[in-house]
Amino acid sequence: MTAVQPQTDLITLTIDGFEVTVPKGTLVIRAAEQLGIQIPRFCDHPLLSPVGACRQCLVDIEINGRAFPKPQASCTIPVENGMVVKTQLTSEVAHKAQEGVMEFLLVNHPLDCPVCDKGGECPLQNQAMTSGRGESRFEGKKRTFEKPINISSQVLLDRERCILCARCTRFSKEIAGDPFIDMGERGALQQVAIYEKDPFDSYFSGNTVQICPVGALTGSAYRFRSRPFDLVSTPSVCEHCASGCSLRTDVRRNKTLRRLAGNDPEVNEEWNCDKGRWAFQYTMVKDRIATPLIRENGVLREASWPEAIAVAANGLQGKKAGVLVGGRATVEDSYAYAKFARATLGTNDIDFRSRPHSDEERDFLAAHVVGSKVRYSDIDTADHVVLVGFEPEEESPIVFLRIRKQVRKRALSVTAISPWQTRGFKKLQAKYIGVAPGAEGNALAQLSLTNQSVIVVGERLCESAGGLSAVAELARKSGAKIAWVPRRAGERGALEAGAIGNLLPGGRPISDAAARVDVAAAWSIESDSIPTSAGSDSKAIFAAAARGEIKALVIGGVDPFDMHAPDFAGLESAFVLSLELRPSAITERADVVLPVAAVTEKSGSFMSWEGRTRSFEQAVPETPHQSDLYILSLIAEALGKPLGFSTVRGAAKEFGTLANWDGARASFTSHPVANAAQGVTLASWRQLLDNGSLQVNEPNLAGTARKAVARINAQLAAKLGVANGDLVTISTDHGALSLNVELSDLVDDVVWLPRNAVASQSLRMLGVLNGAQVNIRKGL
Amino acid sequence: MGLEEKLPSGFALTTVEKLVGYMRKNSLWPATFGLACCAIEMMAVTTGRYDLARFGMEVFRGSPRQADLMIVAGRVSNKMAPVLRQVYDQMSEPKWVIAMGACASSGGMFNNYAIVQGVDHVVPVDIYLPGCPPRPEMLMDAIIKLHEEIKNAKLGINRAKIIKEVEAAALAAKPTIELKGLLA
Amino acid sequence: MSELEPKRAIDGAAEESIHIPIAGPASLFTQLKGFWVTFAAQFKKVTTVQYPEVKEPTAPRFHGRHQLNRHPDGLEKCIGCELCAWACPADAIYVEGADNSDEQRYSPGERYGKVYQINYLRCIFCGLCIEACPTRALTMTNEYELADDSRKKLIFEKEDLLAPLRSGMLQPPHPYYPGTDDQDYYHGRVTEAHPSQEQK
Repeated sequence: MTAVQPQTDLITLTIDGFEVTVPKGTLVIRAAEQLGIQIPRFCDHPLLSPVGACRQCLVDIEINGRAFPKPQASCTIPVENGMVVKTQLTSEVAHKAQEGVMEFLLVNHPLDCPVCDKGGECPLQNQAMTSGRGESRFEGKKRTFEKPINISSQVLLDRERCILCARCTRFSKEIAGDPFIDMGERGALQQVAIYEKDPFDSYFSGNTVQICPVGALTGSAYRFRSRPFDLVSTPSVCEHCASGCSLRTDVRRNKTLRRLAGNDPEVNEEWNCDKGRWAFQYTMVKDRIATPLIRENGVLREASWPEAIAVAANGLQGKKAGVLVGGRATVEDSYAYAKFARATLGTNDIDFRSRPHSDEERDFLAAHVVGSKVRYSDIDTADHVVLVGFEPEEESPIVFLRIRKQVRKRALSVTAISPWQTRGFKKLQAKYIGVAPGAEGNALAQLSLTNQSVIVVGERLCESAGGLSAVAELARKSGAKIAWVPRRAGERGALEAGAIGNLLPGGRPISDAAARVDVAAAWSIESDSIPTSAGSDSKAIFAAAARGEIKALVIGGVDPFDMHAPDFAGLESAFVLSLELRPSAITERADVVLPVAAVTEKSGSFMSWEGRTRSFEQAVPETPHQSDLYILSLIAEALGKPLGFSTVRGAAKEFGTLANWDGARASFTSHPVANAAQGVTLASWRQLLDNGSLQVNEPNLAGTARKAVARINAQLAAKLGVANGDLVTISTDHGALSLNVELSDLVDDVVWLPRNAVASQSLRMLGVLNGAQVNIRKGL
Repeated sequence: MGLEEKLPSGFALTTVEKLVGYMRKNSLWPATFGLACCAIEMMAVTTGRYDLARFGMEVFRGSPRQADLMIVAGRVSNKMAPVLRQVYDQMSEPKWVIAMGACASSGGMFNNYAIVQGVDHVVPVDIYLPGCPPRPEMLMDAIIKLHEEIKNAKLGINRAKIIKEVEAAALAAKPTIELKGLLA
Repeated sequence: MSELEPKRAIDGAAEESIHIPIAGPASLFTQLKGFWVTFAAQFKKVTTVQYPEVKEPTAPRFHGRHQLNRHPDGLEKCIGCELCAWACPADAIYVEGADNSDEQRYSPGERYGKVYQINYLRCIFCGLCIEACPTRALTMTNEYELADDSRKKLIFEKEDLLAPLRSGMLQPPHPYYPGTDDQDYYHGRVTEAHPSQEQK
């Protein structure tokens, strides 16, 4: 932790003849760690509550000359003054006890290490070698179970191998709050079990696989794929959401085989969500674009790089252009797009928000988000957390875990402003303020906070007019901190890098002449060559292209269906340059398509929602793909206005000189809260596991996605005459979709739909946002 | 000779090919290129028990100008590579190369910065011989297989055609980083 | 000390080297002695082995080409555990494991080696892979005639390495011998294939 721990009572004890002083309440096993004495253990985990289940950490303890009659489990006993601890290193009794425990654990543990996925990185294997006997005295028949069983589509349970350390069940109960697994039966038959009807559909189930000290829990996707010695591990950062988890990417011969949660106490501690752990096949799909493509007579054909770059440069030359970055670019790539738009194309028409957005949001970001440094540790010290326009479990799972940790630890009070009281809110014991979508602003105005409070704002609050204004007002009034949590990993970085119409890199307002001079000097261009008025946003860029005002578009990794009711007319008429991984609605219409490197294939950094830079290195050693910024530098070169860098390091260095702006931030003018729509209104957001383009080719992961249902409350159900499980149809002028009803704890006259579930892409099919009026009827 | 390369294609060439192949195969003189442990086995091939003289090959020439087969026996360090290439260049055409042992063939267990990862990075190799080191019979087996290759070698326009085909196939082949195994 | 002294020492050595005594012609007897050695050798037994016509058997434990063995009913012994690849000092072995199912069973137990490659250009025939193999699936034969003309041909695939089907064996995939499980296979209680194991 970064915060200085308050000085607590210190306790001095002796371990193996060495004195050590530790804070009161420290467990003996941790105190030993401080001396570098390793006591073998299985059930002990620093982030889980002590349980003393495996008994492997037995040591001899005496306090003030009085010894315990038997060896004690050092993972459950807190230190005391005058304690003398003898571990296996100095006590024959402790050593023998540990050997005995190990022998007992191995009585029923099968010797299938050669076929076990854990083999080679298994704590049981390792500690059997370091602190077990060479020979077993057990000659009976080992207990066997059917193996393996699927406890969810992505986690396999092999009960024979389980040593009943209860790490998985404690994690599920304490950390994730999804107690779907628990110990069942007794004695020799005790085993980890799931409830008969509920599979282990937790968003955090992958962590149990990682912390299992034996091979009892394994991931289906990684089953029998490789061995630890095959894998080259690279520390990396998750690209799925803005939580900024540190990861470990394991690659075998240029194929990413698995990802594990990295250990970063300031961010994700040791956890991550299943999407971050198991959604990585998208880089290795068959339809990945491999070579540059050029449209000739209406058909895309393969081309060489020099040819494609020349065609792209030719298409962009001298035209009024717009740039759409997409929310998945790294900071360096976003910076390259931002500079490419300003310095090479001479336009401010750039926007990273390839999703519903508003002008209110843009002003809010410029005034209150860019440059802000609200951290996870602010949640740790907060007196009150307000969640608005944000369902943390679905939209930023590590924020959820962090809030939940504080809720469990010190009963942190949480207020959730939402149309639906979700399971995630219940797990946070949040005070639920039910509001109709669009009316969040009114509820915010009622709250009173202190300067220790944190308002966690989701990106979709921009869909409620006046919502962000209310947040800004509340923060101004109370001094509370604003944490803006976008969904995508690249959004905060793109904001800081200036990939938005009203900001230059480092959050410099475009309207500020000093800021323009500052940036122009860093870029060695004429300061009047940067346009002075704020550029258009994504929606306006598409509209301007449709009207023929913008004649060329540079589009990097944008799915137009992430915006509601996208306008494709502009894509047909303008010259479109697309930088993409895979064929999309944009590449279908693009004139030049250039393949880019995926996150594993390049180095760079993301900025988490905190504004924390999370750098990562290239994980896949050999790749034919290049990063966006390198490709942009080639095009800029061909256009005669070079970017001045062509490497990630070069871009990062240049951005580093521009990253901080000590001048004035943009000002923010409040918008009024809009009047609520009449009739039944729509509420929708994305779920963690859905139809996202980074989750393709992951059948095991998709198996644990939550069911796509339409949620209404009993009042609306009675009005419609439907019961749980009945089919309803929701329609707008744009389209309709039919889903089964699940009665939930919603506010009246609201229907909740998943925004991008496999069966129900409400945004794409209905073309409307939160708070819009929809028609709902029973049946098809 | 050089003359055979000028021959026109047609029925005359096939007969000449056979004749030339037969003669070439039976008149190989190896150049000594013993670099490491494999060289001991290479020397053993000339001893009484194995007696390479049975193939007319007992004279390991000290001068590359008198040799037409280079047996690269042992690990080739990066420093040795230019020397090896020079010796190869000094040999008179036609000439052949046997990469003897794992190290010469691929670097073997020495996958490190000091060792050339296969002598085919430096000179064209006709026969690869596994083993660490290969026993003398294995080297003789490699030599016999090389003899077969030499006997059936094409000349003139036929040879040019084969070279063209091989070249075209190599150009069309996918780069190794794009090859997809089961793990993809 | 003058600087000339070392030079003088060298000069002195050069002068001395002139007076190396050169031996005169050997006597007639000495020369005949040499010819006699050659002459007498004619009557010695010829030691040459007429390889390739005559192939002397190698020592029984000679490290030759590898072989992937089978259980007596034809199921593969290899379980795809990659321990051979782990043990290999030259990184010559590549294994990918996969799931056995009751419909597609290649080996007893959960796992089998789907891809098994040995790169003979890297292999140093040290036999550590054989020591590492937990099921005795991998052993070495005495075959040594391996030379070939391309790198690709010297990467042996699983088909090249698998032992031939002997009489009484069935080509996998096929199910277990009726009434047995993986333990029976490991303990050698399955001795032949059963007609019901055959899969169409």
